[in-house]
Amino acid sequence: MEKLDNVNSMNVKKSNLGKLEYIEAYRTEEVREILNPLVEEWFFGKFKDFSLTQRYGVKAINDRKNILVSAPTGGTKTLTAFLSILNYLVGLGIKKELEDKIYAVYCSPLKALSNDIFVNLIDPLKEIQELAEKKGLKMQDIRVGLRTGDTTVAERAKMARKTPHILVTTPESLAIVITTTKFSEKMNALEFIVLDEIHALTNKRGVYLSLSLERLNDLSLIEPVRIGLSATISPLDEIARFLVGGERDCLIAEVKLTKKIEIDLEFPGKNILEAESFESQKELYKILDKLIQENRTTLIFTNTRAATERIIHHLENQFPGKYADVIGAHHSSMSKEKRFEIEERLRKGELKVVVSSTSLELGIDIGSIDLVVLLRSPKSVSRALQRIGRAGHKLHENPRGRFIVLDRDDMVECGILMKEMIEKKIDSAEIPKNALDVLAQQIFGMAITKVWDVDEMLRVIRRSYCYKDLTRDDFFSVVSYLAGDYALEHRNVYAKIWYDEKENKIGKRGKLARVIYMTNIGTIPNESHISVVIGSGNNRGETVGKIDEGFLERMKRGDIFVLGGAKYQYLYARGMKAFVAANVSKNPTIPSWFSEMLPLNFDVACDIGRFRKLVKERMKDKKECMEFISEHLYCRKDVASEIFDYFKEQSEFSEIPDEKTIIVEKFKEEKEFLLFHSLYGRRVNDALARAYAYAAARLKHRDVEMGISDNGFFIAGESLDAEKITKWVKSKDLREILKEAIDKTDILKRRFRHCASRSLMILRNYKGREKSVGKQQVHSEFLYSAVRKISSEFPILREARREVFEDLMDIYNAEKVLKWIEEEKVKIKIIRVPIVSPFGLNLMMQGKADLIKMEDKVKFLKRMHELHLKVIGDRGKD
Amino acid sequence: MDKVEYLGKCLCINANGKKLLIVGDLHLGYEEVLNEGGVFVTREMFKEMISYFDRVFERVGKVEYVILLGDVKHDFGRILRQEQNDLLMLFGYLEGKLNKGGEIVIVKGNHDKIVEPIANSAGVRVSDYFTIGEYCFIHGDRELVGILDDGIRFWIMGHGHPAIRLSDGIKVEKYKCFLIGQYKGKEIIIVPSFLEYNEGSDPRENDLGMAWDFNYNRFNVKIVNSESLEVLDFGKLGKLKL
Repeated sequence: MEKLDNVNSMNVKKSNLGKLEYIEAYRTEEVREILNPLVEEWFFGKFKDFSLTQRYGVKAINDRKNILVSAPTGGTKTLTAFLSILNYLVGLGIKKELEDKIYAVYCSPLKALSNDIFVNLIDPLKEIQELAEKKGLKMQDIRVGLRTGDTTVAERAKMARKTPHILVTTPESLAIVITTTKFSEKMNALEFIVLDEIHALTNKRGVYLSLSLERLNDLSLIEPVRIGLSATISPLDEIARFLVGGERDCLIAEVKLTKKIEIDLEFPGKNILEAESFESQKELYKILDKLIQENRTTLIFTNTRAATERIIHHLENQFPGKYADVIGAHHSSMSKEKRFEIEERLRKGELKVVVSSTSLELGIDIGSIDLVVLLRSPKSVSRALQRIGRAGHKLHENPRGRFIVLDRDDMVECGILMKEMIEKKIDSAEIPKNALDVLAQQIFGMAITKVWDVDEMLRVIRRSYCYKDLTRDDFFSVVSYLAGDYALEHRNVYAKIWYDEKENKIGKRGKLARVIYMTNIGTIPNESHISVVIGSGNNRGETVGKIDEGFLERMKRGDIFVLGGAKYQYLYARGMKAFVAANVSKNPTIPSWFSEMLPLNFDVACDIGRFRKLVKERMKDKKECMEFISEHLYCRKDVASEIFDYFKEQSEFSEIPDEKTIIVEKFKEEKEFLLFHSLYGRRVNDALARAYAYAAARLKHRDVEMGISDNGFFIAGESLDAEKITKWVKSKDLREILKEAIDKTDILKRRFRHCASRSLMILRNYKGREKSVGKQQVHSEFLYSAVRKISSEFPILREARREVFEDLMDIYNAEKVLKWIEEEKVKIKIIRVPIVSPFGLNLMMQGKADLIKMEDKVKFLKRMHELHLKVIGDRGKD
Repeated sequence: MDKVEYLGKCLCINANGKKLLIVGDLHLGYEEVLNEGGVFVTREMFKEMISYFDRVFERVGKVEYVILLGDVKHDFGRILRQEQNDLLMLFGYLEGKLNKGGEIVIVKGNHDKIVEPIANSAGVRVSDYFTIGEYCFIHGDRELVGILDDGIRFWIMGHGHPAIRLSDGIKVEKYKCFLIGQYKGKEIIIVPSFLEYNEGSDPRENDLGMAWDFNYNRFNVKIVNSESLEVLDFGKLGKLKL
């Protein structure tokens, strides 16, 4: 595995991967055969036939095979899983053989899952029971227990008395359940595990769940069947392994989308360059109004919260009275109740249009949507499909979508996305591996339930696909941390577990261990909101609104941003408050949606690069080129014409960068700029930009500024030697360079806070007191500098670094790009230009994102002092 | 004024023929308070503090008085185990740096509510303020009648944790600093906190919480170089660009 450090490769366990098999759908009769007569009668009383998804999945589950069912949204996945399980339980219930145990665990990442569960589990169960009664059949009760963060103590107690046969839960609650003695006993003969919405779990929450599942397996005397339900996602092999763990076999049912996607792309106004002008903005709302009026229900995705509110505001303003009662907003900063209300009204058909940031992408049935409008790029094909899949949710309706783009980069990008959706090319998801913070939390949880043999514990952990290559060194570094080894003389204060080297055993330490674990479980960091307060002038002290922490991190003193329609200049932050100056006349230096921005998928980015090359080769003949564009992207003529003009301008001004050529533009503004047209998505560009900025900073021993976007990045400094800088950064050194480059940055600090919280270094809840995020933050600053003093290789600090490299940035693909450059598969071409070229305009307008610090604190102090002495000296002369 | 020497975060003063070492807010036991709050942090502070003192004493030699400007301990109202140990070890260490007949004095801060029992048992004097010659040492959180005495020219205090942000327009860094100025005819020196990990507060951004309404713009800024014991003069705060 080239991803692993050489140092660690010595003690990597060679794992044998399980067998994956893609299956075909069964015939209706084959599936019908396995159904209990009662269930069969119920099913066909309600449905005409099995859905395609059910023909794939029901029998395989009945045969007790692990299976991943991937089907486009609008399918019947959840019932596919439950049909086999209900069929089995009904059979037992009729024979009076139902035991007092949990047969099946259903786990979904959605908190608001109850409606889906009613439709797919509770109602069918009730109907089958009624049918049995009608027929005079006596059947035992099949009980369903719902256990989420919202479950009350009384409900939990009831569940403990009357064991549910099917437990419906979330990843967090599952971890609690398996650590509770009473409950875990009821699961020692578990038969089914259903993981729903598995495509939403390719993150630390999923990593965490994968370990909970291995713990669950370890509890159970029999091996439960694992059933994964996923929307369209790629690569399926990876997701299947994630579902079952590295060594188990798994069937894969790839239910192909038989529906045709109806999609188009348009822009407001006559000319895309003018799309952001006042007139075109009016035009945009006219287009939206027209689309909304032509359809029964329309769902608009905007990517950001701010845009969601803006769209609603303008629709209401431009069409007074028309939208008053039939428009709704849905975004993640809204309260749960408010969101639920909107979903409910959608389902009832009371709303004509709902505007959402990203929050309505997932799961829960929201009734019939006729059209999905994508305002600005959704940044990946699977995300675009997921969104468009919200329309035509009913089985035989085609999903209908419309891209509306507002600038030229957006137009090209959405064009490529549209092409890939039509050609059904799906970009790939990644699952984090060997996350040490999640591991720490789970080892602690494991130690609470029993005393473990260390090798046995490691074996259980390595069964998870996310930890199959976990090194012994990494494992023991986490054990050491938890056992308090890093705090030598004060071991007893910090230790959460004990580790007996002689006996090779691990167990919990302290009376509070269980309480600490239960009250601090989970992997979702508490993102905090920062109050924005006027810090100078008349209204000093007035709170004007809130921004999120990530946004604050991107700002530096003097930056101007927009909040609630007004402009503010950032002065400084104190604790959970950001102080600003009001009445600012200058233009914003930082867009307000910065932190909410989705990164462009690497595969899609490379495809845009390829497209650029194809267009570049055809530039000579305008007519032919336009025909090519509209055929290639399946787009309208006016769109093709706009794209051609955009490319033409770029080629006349400097040169069109493409898949084989990174154009580096050198120009001077208040500083010297090197703008790299590297179209690889912002995650790769983040890594490349920091590495090049670090190289530049190192050569001159001065700080260098940088900015990044999906289409490229720039670095800016006093004088930059492009040749030297680009030669200095080598793929093999990238990791080391970045380690230095991010060492003192806020991003590392912030990630560290989240990792420290996940690994229980900072407890959110301790001795009955809930800690505010602000307090956690202050504490984590202190902790951060303390940990750095212990060792720069402290496991949780390493995890924070891994998160920055692999989750925030994409270091593997960045290394790949550098290799292409070294092998000359991609050429760097430096061009001197008077000002930035058309392709670089959006990037420049975004402003600066970060500073690579080279000059150390003491040197900076001395330089400032000298400067200061000069000023004092000059003043003395006057 | 030459009698006041700036030594990193500390002051060395010659008064009435006696040598005094002045130390700002120590906040011992901060780490234990964090531990109690469920934060896993190791206790390195004490070791670092002693090694800093070693460097200071290497320069000044033995002294007659060590004056701790209050907030010696972090936690209000109770004494934690670590604090008790650390306090006793610190007193023991400082004893060794005193000339014969020398003394350790703590002027009481708002965090030091019950520091007396331990201090007394170690023979350390605790009082609201301490005067010697024309110098008066106070914590700085309260007005005290005794310090208004006409014979006193200098008020030397802690409490505010002064620090200053420096910026060249791009880069911003924060440094501990001394603030030196005048108030009602007295010379004021606000000493930075001794606590590492945290630089302190910039008076341009935060209220330092001093008991008097100082006009900081007219105060002189002396910034502490964290690597050496050097202190750099940056002139009047009001003239420094934020």
